[in-house]
Amino acid sequence: MKLWQEYLRPNSISEAVQALTSSPGQACVIAGGTDLLLDIQQGRHSNVHTLVDITSIPELNQLEVRRDLLYIGATVSLNRIASSPLAIEHAQALAEASRLIGGPQVRNVATLGGNVAHALPAADGTIAMMSLDTQVLVASQENIREVPLQKMFLGAGKTALSTGKELIAGFCIPLRKKNQASAFKRIMRSQGIALPIINLSAWLQREGDRIVDLRIAAGPAGATPRRIASVEDLLRGNTIKDGLISDAVCELLDQIQFRTSPQRATAEYRHHLVKLLLVDTLLEAWDRAG
Amino acid sequence: MQNLSFVGKSTLRIDAYGKVTGATPFSGDLTLPGMLHMKILFSMHPHARVLNIDMQEASLIPGVVAIFTARDIPVNEYGLQKNDQPVLCGPGSTRVDGDLVRFVGDQVAAIVAESEEIASLARGLIKVTYEDLPILSDPVTAMAPGALVIHPELGESNICVHDKIRKGDIDQGFALADVIVEDEYKTPVQEHAYLQPEAGLAYLDDEGRITVQAGGQWTHADREQISHSLDLPLDKIRVIYPAIGGAFGGREDMSVQIVLALAAWKLKRPVRIIWTRQESIVGHGKRHAMTLKTRWGATKAGKLVAASTEIIADAGAYMYTTNKVLGNSTITSTGPYFIPNVKTDVYGVYTNNVPGAAFRGFGAPQALFMAESQMSKLAEKLSMDPVEFRRLNALRDGDTLGVGTIVPGPVSVLQVIDAAATKFDWQPGKLSASTLTKNDAFRRGKGFACGFKNVGFSFGYKENCWARIELRGISEIEEATLWHGSAEVGQGTHTVMVQMAAEATGVTVDKIKLVASDTATSNNSGSVSASRMTFMSGNAIKGAAELALKKWDKEERPAVAEFVFYAPETTPFDKETGFSKPNFAYAYVAQAVEVEVDTETGIIRILRVVSANDVGQAINPAQVEGQIEGAVVQAQGYAISENYLSKDGRVLTDQLSTYLIPTVLDIPDKVESVIVEVPDPIGPWGARGLGELPFLPLVAAITSAVHDATGVWFNEFPLTPERVLRGLGKIS
Ligand SMILES: Cc1cc2nc3c(=O)[nH]c(=O)nc-3n(C[C@H](O)[C@H](O)[C@H](O)COP(=O)(O)OP(=O)(O)OC[C@H]3O[C@@H](n4cnc5c(N)ncnc54)[C@H](O)[C@@H]3O)c2cc1C
Repeated sequence: MKLWQEYLRPNSISEAVQALTSSPGQACVIAGGTDLLLDIQQGRHSNVHTLVDITSIPELNQLEVRRDLLYIGATVSLNRIASSPLAIEHAQALAEASRLIGGPQVRNVATLGGNVAHALPAADGTIAMMSLDTQVLVASQENIREVPLQKMFLGAGKTALSTGKELIAGFCIPLRKKNQASAFKRIMRSQGIALPIINLSAWLQREGDRIVDLRIAAGPAGATPRRIASVEDLLRGNTIKDGLISDAVCELLDQIQFRTSPQRATAEYRHHLVKLLLVDTLLEAWDRAG
Repeated sequence: MQNLSFVGKSTLRIDAYGKVTGATPFSGDLTLPGMLHMKILFSMHPHARVLNIDMQEASLIPGVVAIFTARDIPVNEYGLQKNDQPVLCGPGSTRVDGDLVRFVGDQVAAIVAESEEIASLARGLIKVTYEDLPILSDPVTAMAPGALVIHPELGESNICVHDKIRKGDIDQGFALADVIVEDEYKTPVQEHAYLQPEAGLAYLDDEGRITVQAGGQWTHADREQISHSLDLPLDKIRVIYPAIGGAFGGREDMSVQIVLALAAWKLKRPVRIIWTRQESIVGHGKRHAMTLKTRWGATKAGKLVAASTEIIADAGAYMYTTNKVLGNSTITSTGPYFIPNVKTDVYGVYTNNVPGAAFRGFGAPQALFMAESQMSKLAEKLSMDPVEFRRLNALRDGDTLGVGTIVPGPVSVLQVIDAAATKFDWQPGKLSASTLTKNDAFRRGKGFACGFKNVGFSFGYKENCWARIELRGISEIEEATLWHGSAEVGQGTHTVMVQMAAEATGVTVDKIKLVASDTATSNNSGSVSASRMTFMSGNAIKGAAELALKKWDKEERPAVAEFVFYAPETTPFDKETGFSKPNFAYAYVAQAVEVEVDTETGIIRILRVVSANDVGQAINPAQVEGQIEGAVVQAQGYAISENYLSKDGRVLTDQLSTYLIPTVLDIPDKVESVIVEVPDPIGPWGARGLGELPFLPLVAAITSAVHDATGVWFNEFPLTPERVLRGLGKIS
């Protein structure tokens, strides 16, 4: 079956946006294609006329420090992030998540931009970045605007991008400071094949025995990738001890209504696992921040 | 020791270079000029009557060449064991009730077009009117008196198989028992998940024969079924196997062959089809799901005295090989042990599920999961070491099986048990390593299980295999050609055949040419199944080589000889008692495993598998190891991750992203193969069969190890993390 009519490979952001807006039919960004092509082939995507391949745009392929931020271009491959010393230093949760996605072949072509733009509630790269205070750079014909990652998701599979007009250029993550650290963990049945049963990411800053600040995200915990603010509030400013952690676990369970996905896991199993994940991930980040 | 030059060596596979470089074409790679493309419209209704097929809109699409339906099939029925399946389901069928669809993978129309896209597009425009019928998806409901009959044309019940064994006196047997273990087990469906989905190319060859190139397991059986459905003589049909991307039993039954042949015949142009993975998963048979209720008794001294079993197997919509699969479940349901009193009833029941089919082990994995679980539980009840308990009861030469006749010897259960236990360093009691895990949540345990299986076709089938050899040269034999009908499904059978031909003729391996898998150049060599091909082809090759060498000595140039090897006769089950001599040879296996269970997540890791297999004589030891490792991985998937789900006859896990076969990161940390060689007196150079054997004991070995680690028995699998946690009482 013909999956598309036209395939374009622009060399700059403005050319890409131009290509999107001037297509006679529906136009769609393609990066690694690991989600998109399956969606089209299996009939989960509306008809596409033009695919705009953004992987040849130099700006989108950068991974570097820009002032006090780590910049990761939207088309940087997950394998590159997993092994990048900069990412490991400043965004360890993201490096860990990137290493766990798919298998080597998928990671060689799959991109971080695609992971976010696909907008699944448990996308690993997205969940990791949710805990890292990430800003998304969104490019349109007019400008490049900054959107907090948390504000990017409108519903399952739906982003705040204006389709056919905008694309994600990259991500900015604050550089790690002393006594700050992050961690990402997930649980899944078979490795390298599919989305996780559940994942969780934590970032925190400590001062002695106290958590000064933290961010926690978990998926799938609703229609969109999500921070668990009330658990953060409960822990913030407090000293890490057993009682506190079990309170946090209770709060977490209160906050997340898990769903049963027939072929992946029951809600009950996720409920059981998220407790373990929270404790493990939190303590990992805690140790790293020490 | 025999003095051997080519047999027993790990010769490089003759197909290695082409497959590794990608040069070898598989069915889906074949093309011919002017080729057309076919798509199948599957019913996707588990049970319905096709009232009407409206093809008008579809046939108007430019590029659509033909749409075939039931009306176009001369004799609209086929089946390996029973002609109970329409080639295409719909009105106008030659067969009574040929307008019924009985599972989602029933085929309704075959669309042929100038391109695959056009064929797909047209398929979407065909409007089929179905009258849906009640769906029977549970065999127990389906076998109850008064249930709706799925094959009204065949009789009044959905029970399509009932095998019985009555040996000794079951009541007296239990009266002697000091301990009894009674339990119910459930085994899941398993998908073959071979690398290459179904595909094929059909055309008229230069002699006008309808030629089908599509992977299968038995060229001559494919030809026969095509010829039957098209009502054409056998010599008008030719079946050729290109390279085949795995089979495991799943290619025994027809998939694309008959409709391809029909289209090439009617349209006089080459026609190709390639199924998607989803079509493959929906469209071919699966390992039978079974429910097994059983009760075993043993004396205080640890001797088995009685076993009473009832097995209900889901046959799905059509017979396929269910009758033979269940015959094998019946035989293996006592495990490789001597039990004086046995009562067994095995039922196969038609339902509206995807048909149960041949799959590596052929009914034995299910029965052995039950038997070996029973053995481990009895050992526990008797406070005996499970290996010792197995030794005590292992079949020995001269013992009778449940079928009442003596097992063909030499029986090597004890040898494989000892080989596995020694390699594993099996010690009675708990694993000492269990304390060495990362934290309390991780528990380790060890488990042991055995298996056995017939080699070759059974139950009175006149088991045979053909080969032809030509020797060329002047004073010395310079080269030879071997003709053979067998399929190379990836297991390496063609390589061992060349090795055996070298051994039998004295010609070196590199000077032997193999011409195989083509009904136009070979007679019937039988199926690659039942772990039979090395055994059967070796004997055929030996026979042909001996005759050819005699002619060579008489100065015939070239010296050519054919030979058909006939295996010793077997007999079918007696209807009431099962008394029979069902098989002429068996092979044996024992496995010891070590697992680690994460009791917080329910995730199981297999740390180590020792598999000791009696292969009689390893023709190619590296390939023996390959078969053992491959079977262990496939059985691990069956045991742990492959969670086939269906609802009301509809397949929910129809992709490899939801049906999870093991990846390289999931497989056991270590698989240690132990090759045991107790020659079979009628095996070529002593060889027995192998392909299915290492699959057989693994599930029970794993569940025993999980029990050792956690104290919980699992009578149902796959052991998904959720099932494990439920078993441990962590979730309800
Ligand atoms: C076998 C396999 C295993 C997988 N395992 C995992 C896993 O473990 N965890 C996980 O999270 N995911 C997994 N995935 C999903 C997928 O690989 C990732 O989400 C990946 O990061 C998507 O990136 P991509 O570049 O391939 O996106 P594409 O498929 O190219 O695009 C996905 C979507 O995003 C849009 N898009 C892409 N880039 C941009 C951009 N810069 N701006 C705007 N829109 C954009 C596209 O239009 C499309 O709608 C798996 C996929 C496969 C096939």
